Amino acid sequence: MVLLSVADLEVRFHTADATVHAVNGVSFELEEGETLGLVGESGCGKSVTSLAIMRLLPQPAGRITGGTVTFRDAILTELPEDEMRDLRGKEIAMVFQDPMTSLNPVLTVGEQLTETLMAHRQMTRQQARARAVALLEMVGIPRPATRLGAYPHQFSGGMRQRVMIAMALALEPKVLIADEPTTALDVTIQAQILDLVRNLTADFGTAVILITHDLGVVAGMTGRVNVMYAGFVVETGTTAELFAHPRHPYTVGLLRSIPRLDDTRHEDLVPIEGQPPDMTVAPRGCPFAPRCAWREERCVAENPALEPVVPGTPIVTTGPGATHRAACWYPATDEEARHGAPLRAAGGAA
Amino acid sequence: MSGPDGGAAGGGPGEAGNGVPIVEIEDLKTYFPIRTGILRRLAGYVRAVDGVSFEIRRGEVFGLVGESGCGKTTLGRTLLRLQRPTGGVARLEGRNVLEFRGRDLRKMRRRMQIIFQDPVGSLNPRMPVSDIIGEGLLAQADVENRWGERKVRDKRVGDYLEEVGLRRDYARRYPHEFSGGQRQRIGIARALALDPEFIFADEPVSALDVSIQSQILNLLLDLRDRHDLTYLFVAHNLSVIQYISDRVGVMYLGKLVELSPVAELYANPRHPYTIALLSAVPDPDPRVRKKRIVLTGDVPSPAAPPPGCRFHTRCWLREQLGDPEECATIDPPFREIGGGHRVACHFAERIREEVSTAAVIGVEEPPGVPGGADPISQAS
Repeated sequence: MVLLSVADLEVRFHTADATVHAVNGVSFELEEGETLGLVGESGCGKSVTSLAIMRLLPQPAGRITGGTVTFRDAILTELPEDEMRDLRGKEIAMVFQDPMTSLNPVLTVGEQLTETLMAHRQMTRQQARARAVALLEMVGIPRPATRLGAYPHQFSGGMRQRVMIAMALALEPKVLIADEPTTALDVTIQAQILDLVRNLTADFGTAVILITHDLGVVAGMTGRVNVMYAGFVVETGTTAELFAHPRHPYTVGLLRSIPRLDDTRHEDLVPIEGQPPDMTVAPRGCPFAPRCAWREERCVAENPALEPVVPGTPIVTTGPGATHRAACWYPATDEEARHGAPLRAAGGAA
Repeated sequence: MSGPDGGAAGGGPGEAGNGVPIVEIEDLKTYFPIRTGILRRLAGYVRAVDGVSFEIRRGEVFGLVGESGCGKTTLGRTLLRLQRPTGGVARLEGRNVLEFRGRDLRKMRRRMQIIFQDPVGSLNPRMPVSDIIGEGLLAQADVENRWGERKVRDKRVGDYLEEVGLRRDYARRYPHEFSGGQRQRIGIARALALDPEFIFADEPVSALDVSIQSQILNLLLDLRDRHDLTYLFVAHNLSVIQYISDRVGVMYLGKLVELSPVAELYANPRHPYTIALLSAVPDPDPRVRKKRIVLTGDVPSPAAPPPGCRFHTRCWLREQLGDPEECATIDPPFREIGGGHRVACHFAERIREEVSTAAVIGVEEPPGVPGGADPISQAS
């Protein structure tokens, strides 16, 4: 069952100097129990997309200027603020990247956890406390009853991130948005946290949107991926299909530009040349064209739509049978993807 | 396939080189005092670096890897005299840099440079690029290099901007006008302009986007070859360390636990901590399901490191071996086990080859046994 649906979402930031075209018509759906990865580099719009879903865009600069977000039968983009507030945390919860700044430093962890429970669940203080202990225990914090009285600074980074996850799961949300939940953590702690998220989604059937720039995390955690660039989804499909047969030159570039542990050949990395796009300029043509080795004249003039990589395939948007789609006029072949560069003669027709 | 002494990408000429050490570190210690109460009474020390010995060979990239707080950055900063050492010796071509003062110290600074992690915080936002790079030149100016003259200095700034792939006229611009990757190039140009022999690169790519990371890594390797540089490259990302290094040291709680040529370390890790670290790296291939060794608990405080082996409180091997006593009582010596491979573990020989390989390459987990790590089978 589709829980969350994002259609043609467009987000702009208006500042004194310029307008930032943060999200430029993003559409995707999320099914119960599914884990969807949003991948891309900083500024590609992955975090802004999730903030727009939560209606937590920085005010007054950030505006949803087009499209809709639907959760079950509620159109979130049209919901009055008080109804949205009810829904936040209860139905859709978010884990932020930086556990240090997202916890209130002057309240104990117990106070922060019970506050949520008492506000949303009309629990008494005792009930909320008991539930908070259970939650901390669930995320693997030793001696949870004692730790409730501790302040965030008394926890290590990994422990703080566990507390954040416990808070996000306190109300048993249907959708969990995790924005770079392990980026600030060391690999061994990251492994613990990812295991935790994986087990929790398996136990509660929570649908997860996992935002990350780490392709290793995506490969291990998600069933489906949206690759984002300059506020567009440029490629989407099941994780297995997309990693095995990347079609968009940006996805190819991402996969070829990271060093890999199993890479004993010591091949040179193929960097994506050039700089990330200037988001204050209204997009025209394919946003990746300036950095793309596959570029043709058409790419600079017309922005390709997200279409099935096998033309004519019926589009399935969710689940393990999701259609592999890419927004590219001249997609890479498997051979080119392995090579990391186009194999046809430069400037020639595809 | 690269040989046992396998070099970094492309196998540049500097490859683990002629074996002549440029830097030798012996029993280096850097402690930070902990003071408490209104009298600032000394309550103990954080032992950030606690007795580390190794050498860096001319022309090589020595990778230093470990989790946050293990002391890898402090080690590099101590070596460059940016941090006061507590004890030990650090030689640059035979002379102890920890004893340098005055003129000697200033001369040494030119030979040993640093590239910082944070490309935003390490560039003064009020200075144009010409002054950011020129400042070091001015400090090292003498009659010979004539860097005190504006014209000479500006030419050199322009040359080195080009050397790192930027335009000469960027010298007039300010840091905020650049992207993260470009700023890191400016930081590299600043270090390079002084014509150093040795560069301490402190997590130079971890703040950058993935597509930019590889640009900077390749640039650093190019520059190493063109300018005969030696790097101490600190990072927490094991894939990055593997890509760039000739030899690698693994640090845990202020001590080196393993040191080896890069190919050997990744193919045949011998310290249980290294194996756990490698197994925790998520593989960017959805078909691979690694058998992960999940370390329990957090890193102990470096103010009160555990007795014996510092890793014994979290060690999966010790658990498998039935908690032998020496782990908790005797600090394992950092010993050579052949082929330039050094390890600090009493039981390094008890780790079976397939365990260490599985941690790196990844093996299919048998279905129905999720996450059940049984890294070594029953002792035979």
